[in-house]
Amino acid sequence: MAHKWGMAVDLDTCTGCGACVTACHAENNIPTVGPEQAARGRAMHWLRVERYWEGDFPDVRLKFRPVMCQQCDAAPCEPVCPTYASHHTDEGLNAQVYNRCIGTRYCANACPYNVRFFDFFNPQWPKPLHLQLNPDVSVREVGVMEKCTFCVQRIHAAAIDAKAEKRELKDGDIKPACVQSCSAKAMVFGDLNDPESEVSRLSRSPRGGKLLEDVGTLPKVTYLERQTQV
Amino acid sequence: MSEASSRKMSDDLLRPLLETSWRFYALVAFLGSIVLMGLCTWAYQMYMGFGMTGINNPIFWAFYITNFVFWIGISHAGTLISAILRLVNAGWRRPVTRCAEVITAFALMIGAMFPIIHLGRPWLFFWLMPYPSNRLIWPNFRSPLVWDFFAITTYLTGSVLFLVLPMIPDFALVRDRTTGLRHRIYGMLALGWQGTPKQWHRLESAMSIMAIAIIPVAVSVHTIVSFDFSMAPVPMWHSTMFGPYFVAGAIFSGIAGLIIAMAALRKFLHLEQYLHPVHFQNLGKLLLLMSLLWGYFVFAERLTVWYGNESAEIAVLRVTQTGSFAPLYWTMVVVNFVIPVSILSIKRLRTIAGCVVASFGVLVGMWLERFLIVVPSLGHKYLPYSWGHYRPRPVELLITASTFAAMCLLYTLFAKFVPIISIWELKVGEQEPHETAQERSARVLGEAHP
Amino acid sequence: MSAVYALYSSPDAAQRAVNGLYAAGIAEADVIVMSGEPFEAQPFAHRDSATWLWYIACLGGSIGLAFSTWLTRMTELAWPLQTGNMPIVAWWPNMIVMFELTMLGAILATVLTLFVTAKLPGRLPRLYDPEVTNGKILVGVENPPAAALPALERALTAGGAAELKRS
Repeated sequence: MAHKWGMAVDLDTCTGCGACVTACHAENNIPTVGPEQAARGRAMHWLRVERYWEGDFPDVRLKFRPVMCQQCDAAPCEPVCPTYASHHTDEGLNAQVYNRCIGTRYCANACPYNVRFFDFFNPQWPKPLHLQLNPDVSVREVGVMEKCTFCVQRIHAAAIDAKAEKRELKDGDIKPACVQSCSAKAMVFGDLNDPESEVSRLSRSPRGGKLLEDVGTLPKVTYLERQTQV
Repeated sequence: MSEASSRKMSDDLLRPLLETSWRFYALVAFLGSIVLMGLCTWAYQMYMGFGMTGINNPIFWAFYITNFVFWIGISHAGTLISAILRLVNAGWRRPVTRCAEVITAFALMIGAMFPIIHLGRPWLFFWLMPYPSNRLIWPNFRSPLVWDFFAITTYLTGSVLFLVLPMIPDFALVRDRTTGLRHRIYGMLALGWQGTPKQWHRLESAMSIMAIAIIPVAVSVHTIVSFDFSMAPVPMWHSTMFGPYFVAGAIFSGIAGLIIAMAALRKFLHLEQYLHPVHFQNLGKLLLLMSLLWGYFVFAERLTVWYGNESAEIAVLRVTQTGSFAPLYWTMVVVNFVIPVSILSIKRLRTIAGCVVASFGVLVGMWLERFLIVVPSLGHKYLPYSWGHYRPRPVELLITASTFAAMCLLYTLFAKFVPIISIWELKVGEQEPHETAQERSARVLGEAHP
Repeated sequence: MSAVYALYSSPDAAQRAVNGLYAAGIAEADVIVMSGEPFEAQPFAHRDSATWLWYIACLGGSIGLAFSTWLTRMTELAWPLQTGNMPIVAWWPNMIVMFELTMLGAILATVLTLFVTAKLPGRLPRLYDPEVTNGKILVGVENPPAAALPALERALTAGGAAELKRS
């Protein structure tokens, strides 16, 4: 059976350290836009950690929610792209094809999670920072949309390795950059079509829920948090 | 009509073509420079990167899409006046049809520029067209933007043809009145028109069919433009009412644009004898009707949102009614509804000046309405962590201003080279009321047939 | 000479002249009438066969419908990319494109037929007078037989208020 990649994020474990965000930037050649552009709302964090304060001092609680592209099975960003730059792959990922994107930005408007980003300018990496670029990931030019891909380059690399070694992919073979760098081990990635995989197990957890489930996008990221009795 | 008055009509309506004053050149120079500035600004935006605009995350559409919807809306003037009034045989439409159809053609051309201007990579806009490429790739027909492409292409083709076909007999008139190079050019444009009954008959049949065909196309065009919004799960965009709402708003702004254009033509081309106050009063009544209809749609939409109390939609409603967009929103209500209804429902105020004042208000209000549909919703989607603000930057303001100048420029140039009032249609309207062909034949041949 | 014609100021006079020419033995198709505006009230405006324009417009629309159905379905199957849980051949969106191309087909068919049947673009025939666009109605005969000439001229001037011309 084909793979269906999904993730699970444990909000009770997440400390909000932001290592996942940094790792994502490093792995996917995401530029930093500078303070002025960030103040105008153009920061490009494919994965962001949302921080919420609940309650009043001294009974304040802090909650962190890492939000990345939910790779929705009924993604509203896909049918609206006029050039098929945003479409669904056989393995359940929402593909963003930079070469095909003409920058209408309709997909970003349609996305309820606001996880799609636009290249407002050509990214700059002043020397010697250009040496840090990941050769497995393209550098996007001005005018195209980009977003979290579940580190599809790592998925492909692991699949190629497995094929070369004439074996099947095992659960845990593939770790996107965020999953790999999470200090609290709060993020899990795997095959939802494999009922034994950890991510499948967690997606069935009673602590599990989806973000904006009622919008009907069928997201594939399960957020685990303690449900309080009200 | 008598020969003298027919000749005078031709003289009056051809005078703008045959006589040019320095004011024309000054106006063209002024408008042309603004348009040129707009083009340079666009080139600057393409060169420096789309970041020169005020667009940000999450407000990815703002001024350019507002302008797009606004201009496509203005283009509904021609269809309503020309096609619908032609089909119901309303005689008062005759001096007005070409003014209106010209607005449609040019507003469409200007509006159709904006989907290209707002692209991140505008040089690849042709990927929206279904051409057989070497790589065998096609556009996505499920995307409302591709529907836009087909709708606007069809409507533009239809409108331009609807405009150009009745121009042929008038080109023949100009051909016969001019000499030299003008004679040759207008002769080519007249396509060898002779004016035989067969040609007239074919032309009128074609116009009837086009009138019937263009009305559903016009309705579909602005409905499809509204689908750009209603197909996305964005609070206060995903409304089933957007189709009719946008079409009503389009006709509303179209009539306002037409009133202003007609008033300007009447004043500057001295067409007082052909564009009478009654024309403005009739259009003013239509404007009043559309204002009431617009108010009805806005009320129905907002009542539904308010009553439904869905939290994401309420956030958007609140930010427009009482929040940061409130000044714009209430200005829109005043200039779109309060002022036009007040002016146009009182007969003494429904003069040419009154209609023009109301129309200017409506143009401002309808532009604001488009803006208030696009930006507040995008700034306040489902996740409050990602809400944002928008402020336009100079490139957007300059390009917007230059499109208004472009419209005026194109209109001025058109009125210089083509009679802005359809001369032959006006003459048909002046023909004495007649019996049926059989009765007339019996009368004329009375001597031969007892 | 190649034509004899007269210019009339009133449509009634022109109609009388046309009838006079018929009486003088000229066939209906050989009587040339030109005017600067259509005169639907006059019988001379109704000499030609009824137009097939409606049927041709419907035919054009059908061609547009067939083409757009084929285009949308073929391209969606040629590049079967899954988007948003919608079917590969998505009929709801396809219908929108089909509607537009149907109407475009009808419009283009109408205009094309108009050009063909009205013989546009064409060259101005030798029998033409610029006074036509000045409000006069031209009634005449091209290449009249010389023997019939006086009878034709009588028929043309019998209607009154005419300027007789030859070219």
